[in-house]
Amino acid sequence: MYRKIIRRSLSNMRDSYLIYILACSFAIGIFGILESMGDNPSLHFALHMWDSFISDVTSIMSGLFAFCAFVYMIYVGGFFIKQQRNEFLTFEKLGMQRWVIVMISFLQTIIVQALAWLIGMVLMLIFQKFMGMLLFYLMRVRFNFEMHVSLTNLWFLIQVFLVSTLILSIVNAIKTIRILQKKKRRIIIKTRWWLRIPAGIFGFVLLLSAQFCTAMLFKDIRMLGYSSKPLTEVFYIMTADIFGTYLVYFGFLPFVLNILERVHSLSYSGVNIFSFKYMKDRLFQNISILWFVTELSALALALLTFCYFGYQAVHQNYNNAYPFELAANKDTVRVIKDELKKTDSKVKGTYKTPVKINLVSYYSKNTQSYIRQPMTFMSYSDYMSLPKRMHKGNAKINSHQYLKIDYSSSTFRYDSEPDEHNIQVKNSPMIQTARTGSSFPYGSSMHFGPMMIVPDKYYTKMPAEVEDTFYGWDFKKGDRLSRGQLKRLNSYRDAYFMKVDFKSSLSKSSIEVMKKEPHKYEDTYTQAGFLRQGSIKKRFKQGGGFYLFIVALFSVALLVALGSVLTLRVLLRDDYQSRQLRTLQKIGVEESEIKGIIRRENTLTFVIPIIFALVQSYAAIAMFDVGRHISKNIILIYGGYVILYGLFGIISYQVSWRSVKQKFSL
Amino acid sequence: MQIAVKNISKDFGKKRSAVHAIKDISLEVEHGEFLGIMGPSGAGKTTLLNMISTNERPDHGQIIIDGLDLTQLHDREQAKYRRNKMGFIYQSFELLDSLNVKENVILPLALNRSNKKLIEERFDYMMNLLNIEGLSHRAVDELSLGQRQIVAAARALINRPEILFADEPTGSLDSKSATILLNYMQMINQKEKTTILMATHDSFTASYCSRVVFIKDGVVFSEVINPGNRDKFFEQIINMQRTIGGGDYFNVSKNY
Repeated sequence: MYRKIIRRSLSNMRDSYLIYILACSFAIGIFGILESMGDNPSLHFALHMWDSFISDVTSIMSGLFAFCAFVYMIYVGGFFIKQQRNEFLTFEKLGMQRWVIVMISFLQTIIVQALAWLIGMVLMLIFQKFMGMLLFYLMRVRFNFEMHVSLTNLWFLIQVFLVSTLILSIVNAIKTIRILQKKKRRIIIKTRWWLRIPAGIFGFVLLLSAQFCTAMLFKDIRMLGYSSKPLTEVFYIMTADIFGTYLVYFGFLPFVLNILERVHSLSYSGVNIFSFKYMKDRLFQNISILWFVTELSALALALLTFCYFGYQAVHQNYNNAYPFELAANKDTVRVIKDELKKTDSKVKGTYKTPVKINLVSYYSKNTQSYIRQPMTFMSYSDYMSLPKRMHKGNAKINSHQYLKIDYSSSTFRYDSEPDEHNIQVKNSPMIQTARTGSSFPYGSSMHFGPMMIVPDKYYTKMPAEVEDTFYGWDFKKGDRLSRGQLKRLNSYRDAYFMKVDFKSSLSKSSIEVMKKEPHKYEDTYTQAGFLRQGSIKKRFKQGGGFYLFIVALFSVALLVALGSVLTLRVLLRDDYQSRQLRTLQKIGVEESEIKGIIRRENTLTFVIPIIFALVQSYAAIAMFDVGRHISKNIILIYGGYVILYGLFGIISYQVSWRSVKQKFSL
Repeated sequence: MQIAVKNISKDFGKKRSAVHAIKDISLEVEHGEFLGIMGPSGAGKTTLLNMISTNERPDHGQIIIDGLDLTQLHDREQAKYRRNKMGFIYQSFELLDSLNVKENVILPLALNRSNKKLIEERFDYMMNLLNIEGLSHRAVDELSLGQRQIVAAARALINRPEILFADEPTGSLDSKSATILLNYMQMINQKEKTTILMATHDSFTASYCSRVVFIKDGVVFSEVINPGNRDKFFEQIINMQRTIGGGDYFNVSKNY
């Protein structure tokens, strides 16, 4: 008898349970994969240079993932118990003992969880290899990922299953007890317009002010280094967005629907008479969930923004530091060439650029002081003949303009420094205006200070304290230098040392070049002998791949969780709400019109959170994208997120309509 | 003749355990007739009414209304026909809880996108006719069962349907409320010349009809025509019910 009741309950809500079980299985599968991946021998063997980093990160991530999935299960699992309220109350009326009803809900939860875990474990076994191969592919490691689940892992997963299922079943049993104690059949929502209208309008004002503040943040973020204003703005935007969104959902949207409802020429037309009220009803019910989904979507988008710009910054930094696989100056070029001849490396491209080193003085806005130092000069034609990646990150210049390349003061502050003025150069005309950049040709480590790209004429005429030539090589599949060769080359790391003797004026100051390392480094600058990407490149690519793997996994998981929460909310209507749709059909409303109501409901439920989330995440772009424009890539990332989210909306609509139609044929 | 039902049948369930709800029924209804459909529970009254009102499709046969074969129409066209030409009163009222009385009543006109002036005129007329002006802005939850059924009747009649379908309209009402509703239905039948098809198992309710068709086990068993005297007609209905075993004067079986 009880088995039959449980079976019927599961069968009645099969669509909703299926979505829940699949979402849980996905989470369990990912958790299992992350957990077992850390112990995988092929991972340890292929990525030994990362020591225990990968397994530590996967363990931490799997823990975080398990926690989030558990919260999701507790939250969403409660929907089903709520849905069975009438059934449980009827059982009690018919004389069933309370503990039996509680036991039914307890067992039901155990069955659903066991099913989810079973599917999740199967998913883990099937997709572990696939995910491992994906990780290796992203990390650009050519190695066969072997499937491996240790007994320790398996036992741990079983323990997690037992404990989590027990807790979830107890939580649902408690929820059932509360239903039986309260016995309220239908909660009448108080409209309280006197509270909703002012709250909604205040929320709307808060959101508007947050947008205004975001626009200001785009400008003010540049002051982050020396003013607390941007941080205050960020704090205000976050607070205003979070509270404003809730208040708008609480008051403004129902208020707008209420006004629409009162405009009889609009509401007394077609199914609007019903749908405005129905949607208002549903909105009242789902305010907290819509808000929750909005804020989590905004968080997901902000995380993606942060990850994108973070990765860009690291990538930019890496490119600035090591634009060539191998770089050298005129003192080391012969040794390097000799060593390269001994290897089987295939040179893809060789570059050679003469440079002049001279003394300069200028006023630095960043440090707010006068600076005197040596500077490397390169002609415009030589600069432009280098590969595009060398000047992609710098401001664009023409053959008459000057470009000062300096170390960036902040990771995110590329392509954003203002122009510099009045740079004095020893025995040469003063440079009135110079555009700025931070992407050094031949790599930042090859230079001891800033670099200046000057028009060809200026370069030819200018005297030099020191003249040098930089060399750069690109290879097919690396430079192939052996450890022994690198050991030999180690003594050529420093090419020469420049001791600057500063006098009262630039023309009186001079540079003394020393081959040997000085005892004192006061006013002494070092010119690097050579620069090599080597293992840094490998580490960078592998780290980037791992980072992409984790971020993608979390984003997809977050999306699945949010999508399924919304779908289940749309799907799990109260009995009286389903009855109303059936009544409409009985009195002659066309199926297409009822479908239209479901479509509107889905649109409202899915579109509102994503619009608000996009509006909020705009602030995240303002925080990181200081390039005065929203890059194409970030639009693509956001677009991808919206498309995947939209897919959930479409699935939700189809499933929702299916469940309504099923009730029509009853 | 307004409605012609020709050899319709309907089965429920799967092949082996199929239940033959309606077996080859034919029926004709004149314009402005008040037809009662009676029979014991499970006889097929509601199924027959649902099929004539296009809420269900018959497995076989034709349903012709005003010369149009409704079984040949697409679902969408059927819904349109239902909305424009038919009105419905159900035992469970089928009012929309989220709408107030006025919104429930004007729903069919709003669905037809009628203009606001017509909506207000028809609403005032119906509220006057059924004497429920005071209920306009009340919520459905606040009404008594009798009031709910009158409101459901107002909704069914507001767009001047040619045919009114009533499925056990007095089933949830006490005798006083039932009498009020039946008087209204009779008045509408006479005043507006609306054809009414009413399914009931109650002899008193059926006595308001001009003709009663008796159904048993999915076939038409017999019919009784109102001789013009309601008491005599009531006796005839009771006798027919006795014959088919549906109950007697007090709805109690003959063998009791």
